[in-house]
Amino acid sequence: MFSTFHGLETAKRGMNTQQSALYVTGQNISNANTLGYTRQRVNFEASPAYPAASMNRPQIPGQMGTGVQAGSIQRVRESFIDQQYRGENNKFGYWSTKAESLAKLEDIMNEPSDSGLAATLGQFWQSLQDLSVNPENDGARSVVLQRGQAVAETFHYLSSSMKEVKKDLGNEINVSIRNINSILEQIGNVNKQISEIEPHGYIPNDLYDERDRLVDELSSYVNIKIETTKSGGNPSSIAEGIYNIKMIDENGQETSLIDGSKFGKITEIDEETSLGQLNIIGSDNSSNNLSFDKIAKGKLSGLIESFGYLENGNGTEKGIYPEMLKQLNDLASTFITKFNEQHVKGWTLDGNQGEEFFGGSNAEDIKVLITSNENIAAAGSKDSVAGDGKNAIDLANVQSTANITSKYQSIIGKLGVDAQQANRLTANSGNLLQSVDERRQSVSAVSIDEEFINMIKYQQAYNASARNITIVDEMLDKIINGMGLGGR
Amino acid sequence: MRVTQSMLSNNFLKNISNSYEKMGKISEQMQTQKKITRPSDDPVVAMKGIAYRTSLTEVQQFKRNFSEAHNWLDNTDAALDQATKALQRIRELTVKAANGTLESDQREAVAKEIEQLRDQLKEIGNTQVGDKYLFNGTDTLNKPIGDIANNPSDVSNNSNSVKLELSKGVYIEVNSTDVFNKDLFEGLNKLVDDLKSGNDQVDLNDSIVDIDKSINHIINERATVGARSNRIDLMEDRIDQQEINATKMMSKNEDVDMEKVITDLITQEAVQRASLGMGARIIQPTLLDFLR
Repeated sequence: MFSTFHGLETAKRGMNTQQSALYVTGQNISNANTLGYTRQRVNFEASPAYPAASMNRPQIPGQMGTGVQAGSIQRVRESFIDQQYRGENNKFGYWSTKAESLAKLEDIMNEPSDSGLAATLGQFWQSLQDLSVNPENDGARSVVLQRGQAVAETFHYLSSSMKEVKKDLGNEINVSIRNINSILEQIGNVNKQISEIEPHGYIPNDLYDERDRLVDELSSYVNIKIETTKSGGNPSSIAEGIYNIKMIDENGQETSLIDGSKFGKITEIDEETSLGQLNIIGSDNSSNNLSFDKIAKGKLSGLIESFGYLENGNGTEKGIYPEMLKQLNDLASTFITKFNEQHVKGWTLDGNQGEEFFGGSNAEDIKVLITSNENIAAAGSKDSVAGDGKNAIDLANVQSTANITSKYQSIIGKLGVDAQQANRLTANSGNLLQSVDERRQSVSAVSIDEEFINMIKYQQAYNASARNITIVDEMLDKIINGMGLGGR
Repeated sequence: MRVTQSMLSNNFLKNISNSYEKMGKISEQMQTQKKITRPSDDPVVAMKGIAYRTSLTEVQQFKRNFSEAHNWLDNTDAALDQATKALQRIRELTVKAANGTLESDQREAVAKEIEQLRDQLKEIGNTQVGDKYLFNGTDTLNKPIGDIANNPSDVSNNSNSVKLELSKGVYIEVNSTDVFNKDLFEGLNKLVDDLKSGNDQVDLNDSIVDIDKSINHIINERATVGARSNRIDLMEDRIDQQEINATKMMSKNEDVDMEKVITDLITQEAVQRASLGMGARIIQPTLLDFLR
């Protein structure tokens, strides 16, 4: 026989379960705009039928259902899309960082414009031509000195601006490392909390969300791989388990960053001296040195490639800023050498052999050595030099004979191409990231309408269960108050 | 695909900000009138831009050099014209004196006039334009001709040519040398001495030959100056043309095509309006609004 109140219990379970579903709906609606929130769903399941099969079961025909129960509350999410998202996020982090530092470089070089190095060199060249036409003119000589000064200052400005940004990039590397370390610590803590809840059979959805959000963030910095392990105890079959996170370098070498509640960290770099390698303390406390150029793509490697690093840990300095600085220094050095070579061939207004015009050997220390107007060696021959502007013409032509312009042109061209490529790949990976994100949202985002429909569904089911109680109540009323009164 | 409100509004936000970015680019092009503002916008345009700018600066500089060349040649020509006239007058006077029909005091007067003309030639030889002496080679800050009345050899013989670069690798000599030389003034001084000597039998024919030589020399020099002047005019025409071409190339390379930018702007405006309109629509009433 079934219990008298079997129907009441069934209806009560129905009310309870629908109510919990309504609460989850409320949670979903409340978090419709929460970053990283995954919509949740109550997995309804029929409660165990009566009687359970056993030796001393009551002899009744068939099993009777006992209603519904909330089996579990689960996130609606696809881990495969997460993996894709993190892959794209990693590339986007790399290219957007590179694009940004190249854009800064473009701002510094400020070409094409009327105030960049090309324009300054052009004006210097013009002043030399003017001098060649009026070599005896003191004004023309002054202008040459001033324009020469302007060339030196432009070189200084470019060089020091680049160094400034390079230093900022070094800071940014350490800020990123601190971020990464903080994320690692947080993931470790969340893992710990999860590992404390899952053994009891609970599904800590909000912790999962938080952990996934943190992992998303981590993926933009470094290339990671996630493995999951089951919690101990008695976890639910849909429990997501513990994330173990490994950092993968260019060669596929793995370093464990997160192992359960244990987390590793990256040692901050010394911006002045450390250009060789990154020290990673793994989750097992092992110390790994990873050469900068072996770090797989991501925001961190984007920053390092901009900031500069030593090839193979000890070779020549590579990277966007160091290479640009080198090119600029080479240009300055060629300019100084070739210009001086020509200048000493000339004769000053006083009939003396020309001295070196520029001092220094690179963009940083270039300076004008000539201090007085008469000492500009405009003349091509020793005697009666006032009106002789032959050497001034030759000086003006150093620009083309030493290929200064075309060298500079190729520097700017290369910068343009590099920046254009970085911009394009940033846009591409950004688009891919967006479309993957869209697919993820399509699965996991909260739709208000959908939740309202669910709400109506659950409310109606709740009402119907309540109504069911009324029916059972009426039946019981019949049994208790309406029966056994025969003949009265 | 399942689409939610937040997806719609996120997409809307992304699209509207892309649209604003494009508007920004177009307004930048409008304001600067340049296709590109940084090399990555178009590396080829940027590289060419640097090259065209360089050649334009060159051309403009050569144009500037031309005015100086004209200055030299025009003033030289004017000076040589005056010099020719002075020498012709001297020749006239000398021929008159050579007839042997003049009284000694008349010869004295002729000598006086020739002296004046000689001094005038000296002044012409010392012609200065700005702070430059035209007839002293490259030694432009010093007078070529000194006190030739007492020391006829006080004439500079600097014959270094002053050359200006008037187009890439083309150097044009702009000064005339060896026009007012020592021989000229020695000859004239001798002529004056001869006239003053009181001996009316002195043969002045040698002097006339010398003067003729000098006149010819100056006329030849004027012809050279004129020819150079012509050449410079031709070169200047060519440089003017080059400037137009270089400017045109530069403009073609980096200046915006107004029709295109305006069309882009209008198109983008339409996109912008449509996006905003869409934005207004995706913020729809929810199902709740109908569940009263």
